[in-house]
Amino acid sequence: MGDVISVLTDNFDEFLAGFWVTVRLVVFAFAIAMVVGTLVAALRITPNKWLQRLGGVYVETFRNVPLLVLLFISFAGLRRAGVDIGPWTAGIASLGLYTAAYVAEALRSGVFSVSKGQIEAALSLGYTYGQALRRVVFPQAFRTVISPLGSLIIAMIKNSAIIGVSLLALDDLLKTARVVQSRTFETNETFFWAAAGYLLLTVSATFAIRSLEKRYAIHR
Amino acid sequence: MKNARWALLLVLVLGLFAAACGDDDEEPTGGGAEPAAEVEEFPADTTMGRIQEAGEIKIGVKYDVPPFGFKNPQNNEIEGFDVDFGKAVADKLGVEPNYVEAISDNRIPFLADGTVDLVLSTMTINAERAQEIEFSEPYYIAQGRILVPQDSDITGVDSLGGTKVCTALGSTYEATLKEQAPEADLRLVDTYSECLELVQNGAVDAVSTDDVILTGMIIQDDTLKLTEGEPLSTEPYGGGIKKGDTEFKEFVDGVLEEYKSGGGWTEAYEKWVGQYTGEEQEPPTMTLEEAIEATS
Repeated sequence: MGDVISVLTDNFDEFLAGFWVTVRLVVFAFAIAMVVGTLVAALRITPNKWLQRLGGVYVETFRNVPLLVLLFISFAGLRRAGVDIGPWTAGIASLGLYTAAYVAEALRSGVFSVSKGQIEAALSLGYTYGQALRRVVFPQAFRTVISPLGSLIIAMIKNSAIIGVSLLALDDLLKTARVVQSRTFETNETFFWAAAGYLLLTVSATFAIRSLEKRYAIHR
Repeated sequence: MKNARWALLLVLVLGLFAAACGDDDEEPTGGGAEPAAEVEEFPADTTMGRIQEAGEIKIGVKYDVPPFGFKNPQNNEIEGFDVDFGKAVADKLGVEPNYVEAISDNRIPFLADGTVDLVLSTMTINAERAQEIEFSEPYYIAQGRILVPQDSDITGVDSLGGTKVCTALGSTYEATLKEQAPEADLRLVDTYSECLELVQNGAVDAVSTDDVILTGMIIQDDTLKLTEGEPLSTEPYGGGIKKGDTEFKEFVDGVLEEYKSGGGWTEAYEKWVGQYTGEEQEPPTMTLEEAIEATS
């Protein structure tokens, strides 16, 4: 047990730096995922067939390409094509856009949980389509999707570790653990702390989601 | 229906035919050796005599480290500096060389269990390994160097401050660079091919590791170059021989001595290294004792 503690205390600055990199990756990627995911979900529920298709193409593209491949394309691929993209931008954009596809699907299913009659009622009351979505559909849809969105956030936090093993070479929590391991050969102790770091993030996310669920619970 | 069955049969026959042809390509490597004019006959109870009896010497080489030991994608032959030296050893015995892939992890066990008679796989001599196997005298002195794009301003380890430098996670170069270039921004990846990608697409400014691996990168991409100046570290390569077989070690040392003095070494150096780096190098004069000293 003494070893476990000393691995953390001896390398605390490095672990903290790695943890902070992971936190920043996850926070920015989450912001992108929510914004883009909401836009794509909106496309998928418009009455316009072409816009629906556009949203569908987005979801199918980003949901069907492995995250690691997206990272290669967005970093090595774009750089080869002459775009001067940095590892931070490539990492955050890939993780965010990838997660956005799942967010869009979760939101769409939330929207379909609102009965069609409500939209028709809103439209017949003189709301425009956008107003009907904003004022009637989305507030209700968001409530039903809080729980699935929570699962997506937890999955995204864990997926962020893929950035650390990719050729983006960002020193996130997992990468930091591997560097410390290669220096100390304390394999179990090092990865124990990496796991603890991810757990800290996912548990915090879980608590945040719980409190949101309580606040916006639908009382039926 | 009948047509379909015939088509299926045809496909099967063609497939078998193709497979048979494929097998032909997998013939043992290193053919075309002409027996040396005068071959010394060794007593049957020595390793040399046993190899002569078998008619082939099994040599463990790398398959993925150009230009020392690698599979040429054009003809599937194993080629490189290590391979050429192995051929010299085989010629001296009047036998065929049979190259076996030996990665860093398994090459020492291969010697112990007799899978190979000799290991020539970019193996750095050090005291730890010298406990497990016999080393030949150093046959090549690799050096820790820095690879940069042709138009780079980086001139050596002193100008790495503030630049991004790629090397492999867990390699000795991680510590070497932290010590010699503490201001450099280290980018650690799993393999050197990732480092090559990063320096090619401009995400890092330099790559640092053995000059041998870096030369392999220059062979693939001649817009890269090595910086001049003092090397970061010295990595003497030695041939690996089964522990306790000093007769065979002395034989290999003898072949190496002749290889160096007879011009074979210089020829191989020019063919595999010199023509890509534009540098000239004398055959190594470092002794095994000095090598163990230098790396411990």
